[in-house]
Amino acid sequence: MNALLEQFLSESREALQGIGEKLMQLEDAPEDQELMTQLFRLVHTLKGNSGLFEFPEMTRVLHAGEDLMDAVRNERVHYSQALADHLLDAMDFVGMLCDDIEAERPMPAGLAADAARLARSLRALIGSTDPAHPDPAVDTKNIAGDATAASAGGCFHTDPTALARIPEAIRLTAWQQAQAGSPLFWVHYQPSEECFFQGEDPLHQAKLTPGLLWGGMLARAPWPKLAELDAYRCMLDFDLLAAASRDDIEQHYRYVPDQIQILEVPAQALALPHGDPNGGPAYEDFVADALGFLERGDLTGLGRAVRSMLELSNSALWLSSDLRWISAFLEASPVNLPAVRTLIESLRTLSVPNWAVALANQAQVAPFSAANQAPDLASTVPAPPATALAHAPVNLQAQAIADVLAVQREVLALPDDAGWLGGRIKAAQASLLGCLRASGRTAEEATLNTAAAAALLANTAAPLAQWLAQAFVPEGVSARTKTTQTTPASAPMPEPATAPDPHSQPVPAKDAVVAESPELDLRMNRRADDANSAKTLKVDQVKVDRLMNLIGEMVVAKNAIPYLASRAESVFGVRELSREIKAQYAVINRISEEMQDAIMQVRMMPVSFVFQRFPRLVRDISRKLGKEVNLVLEGQETAADKNIIESLGDPLIHIVRNSLDHGLEMPDVRVALGKPALGTLKIVAKQEADRVVIEISDDGKGIDPAVIKQKAYQKGLIDEAMLDRITDQEAINLVFAAGFSTAEVVSDLSGRGVGMDVVRTAVERVNGSIALDSVKGQGTVLRLSLPLSMAVTNVMTIASNGQMFGVPMDMVVETVRVPSANVRLIKQRQATVLRGRIVPLLSLNALLGLAAPPLTNDDDELATLVVRVGEDNVGLLVDEFHGTADIILKPLLGVLSSLRAYSGSALMGDGSVLMVINLKELL
Amino acid sequence: MGLEFRKKIALLSDAVGVEDAEKLLDWLQGKPAARVDLSACTHLHPANIQVLMAAGAPICAWPSDAALADWLKPALVDVQ
Repeated sequence: MNALLEQFLSESREALQGIGEKLMQLEDAPEDQELMTQLFRLVHTLKGNSGLFEFPEMTRVLHAGEDLMDAVRNERVHYSQALADHLLDAMDFVGMLCDDIEAERPMPAGLAADAARLARSLRALIGSTDPAHPDPAVDTKNIAGDATAASAGGCFHTDPTALARIPEAIRLTAWQQAQAGSPLFWVHYQPSEECFFQGEDPLHQAKLTPGLLWGGMLARAPWPKLAELDAYRCMLDFDLLAAASRDDIEQHYRYVPDQIQILEVPAQALALPHGDPNGGPAYEDFVADALGFLERGDLTGLGRAVRSMLELSNSALWLSSDLRWISAFLEASPVNLPAVRTLIESLRTLSVPNWAVALANQAQVAPFSAANQAPDLASTVPAPPATALAHAPVNLQAQAIADVLAVQREVLALPDDAGWLGGRIKAAQASLLGCLRASGRTAEEATLNTAAAAALLANTAAPLAQWLAQAFVPEGVSARTKTTQTTPASAPMPEPATAPDPHSQPVPAKDAVVAESPELDLRMNRRADDANSAKTLKVDQVKVDRLMNLIGEMVVAKNAIPYLASRAESVFGVRELSREIKAQYAVINRISEEMQDAIMQVRMMPVSFVFQRFPRLVRDISRKLGKEVNLVLEGQETAADKNIIESLGDPLIHIVRNSLDHGLEMPDVRVALGKPALGTLKIVAKQEADRVVIEISDDGKGIDPAVIKQKAYQKGLIDEAMLDRITDQEAINLVFAAGFSTAEVVSDLSGRGVGMDVVRTAVERVNGSIALDSVKGQGTVLRLSLPLSMAVTNVMTIASNGQMFGVPMDMVVETVRVPSANVRLIKQRQATVLRGRIVPLLSLNALLGLAAPPLTNDDDELATLVVRVGEDNVGLLVDEFHGTADIILKPLLGVLSSLRAYSGSALMGDGSVLMVINLKELL
Repeated sequence: MGLEFRKKIALLSDAVGVEDAEKLLDWLQGKPAARVDLSACTHLHPANIQVLMAAGAPICAWPSDAALADWLKPALVDVQ
């Protein structure tokens, strides 16, 4: 989950909380204009934010809420209890979405429909004049019911003229797919007239409809004359036939739920014979014969008769088309006898059968005749009569599936010695495949096929039986669907391979759709009950700082324990106690270090906090300068202490401006130089050990050392002798010198000569360092290295002239003892050779203005602390080394602040004050 | 690419975008006898389809992409 989304979720929670509170307050003071405005703002902001992400459902509901609040605010609608209820419902829905998004759960099915319902109910409040008594038709609860009613009643599409637009071949394919268990839907997609302006391509959208079998376009109205035609006003309607679940289709059109209409198509309604009537109906003989076969139940005979008739007739005839359908129906099992009869009888009149009437009749007769015959499942379950039963289609279907499964369990548990075992396994596989399709679990087909293959290979039904036991746990299915019968009593077999797999969730998707509305209510109620625990705390920085100071003091106090231990031993002579104290110290030390780390983590912030303003900044500046720049940001998640990150802001802006202004060339110049016109500015943050490194690089013209030297000389920053001596790298580093600017013209962006030295100062203030690399003509790289945190400093303690001093550990290279004999004098300066390199030696006492010479130990060796200052190693002669210590460095204040030789002081564990030397200033 | 006009034939190729609809409309207005060749067309934005439907311009070559052709054939006029 990305940071933006996380922030959105946490803000949304706050906003939802706020909306809830405001609504509660409004109940007490419904006339409060101020409250109303605040409420509107909250909803408005939330809607705006949600638009940043792909949550059309959320935006839709919030948009409706916003419109409603706007109406209330402008006193077009009055605040009412009902209004608050609806708004709270809507906000619960949004909160639920937030939960789902946070848990990275897939969006529940039918979400778009819920969103549309909620939005409708909110909008209805704007329309209704008396909001206290909202139109019962749009009341949420009724709306929940609406969907079920609609899916049971009005969702059939049997209009023959519309269906006849589909070519017969496609209708036959669709019909066969329906027999195999997939539902058929007619989708009427009416894009809004303005959709082209919103960048939509309805044809593309329609083409990608899941399970698309056929699609057609129709003009919404007769076309005007070409001269009056507006090409960009969408006047096309799309009609589609799709074999996919309603959920999948709704999901596909979730951005435009109000523009589509999904109607279920009963498979047999597709049987629409057409063709050349060939002079009118004249097939009475054949009809009589065929009905005779039907009457006798001789389907084989009927099939033969139909086929021979078909062979004799011209395939373009109406008759042939009808016969093709009859033979298709005869091939299905079970044969839909009434349908076949209707088709045969239609030959008498050569008129398209009225399937709507036929379906209604069939529904009343016996919709389920052969549910117990396993192979029949595929055709019976999805067959329209099942769903046409308005009362409990799902229960019936679930029951049918349960029955089929029971039979399959029985079959698979039979002894494996029969010769037709292979056929039995294949039959079971086919039946189970039908069950899976009917319950919308097509994803599991693969596992079923694997199990079946394994069964065939091993010549035993066991693998398939095992699969069945895992995929369809009998209790699960029935409990979920609330069918009364759990395991069919007729199954005499013990459950094969019983152990129900707790991981498998036998939840047929279709169920969920129908049960969705009550479930939604349930979830909403639950939401109202449980307190939403916020995952993020907003804490005043002062509190964290206090914690930080306290842990600092704790570290100091902890550091006193080793002294105590040594005192126990040396002063009181209790060695045992000393050891115990030391052991205890180790524990406290560990805990306090972890604590310190934890508090540090609280203060850590990602560099994206600073980086996020750059895209806009770069865009604005490059526009102003007429340059083309591609900004690349990397490592935005790199984190460092808040103070460090905040101190980075201004220096980075300076650097970026410099790069854009001085670094990158104008596009034409770049092209002339053979570079791409688009310049690249790259800002990369990464962590290296305990430091954060930020690299700002551009592929601009780089820095010309000659120009820098000349400028520096002109400005009096270097003298003539220096001008000759200075290396190119040193020259480049002159840009950090105070008062340096190379720009010919002072622009409002940069060039006032306060650029880089300000940057350096700001970086060094937080113990950072900055390095500049540039190749003329190729670009510049600036490297900022900053500590992760500045709270605790690790120092090396040394003694000199009887005083303790600290030197920051990151400057210490090594500690060596140099024999006095090895110290050479080069001119006036002392130096020694360490590992083949000359290291200048400086006495700390001399540097600090103390008269005492450095002490040597018994072997006449000088304690030398080798430190790195800038690029050079320097040996500091001190009297004695002590250990390292973590200290809280406090800058010198008041009169002492002018002492540049010290970067600060710290309190040691034994109560003494340690002065920390600022080596850069001292040397 | 996209849209090309010959003397009496408009050649539509690859994916013809929404912005081409205006050009197509302008061109068709002056040419009542124009035909349209879609053989190289892989996708047609509905704005263009509308224009072709409204103009009743006969199609002299259907897209080689069968799926697209199936969509277009019932809506547009075949050249006869």
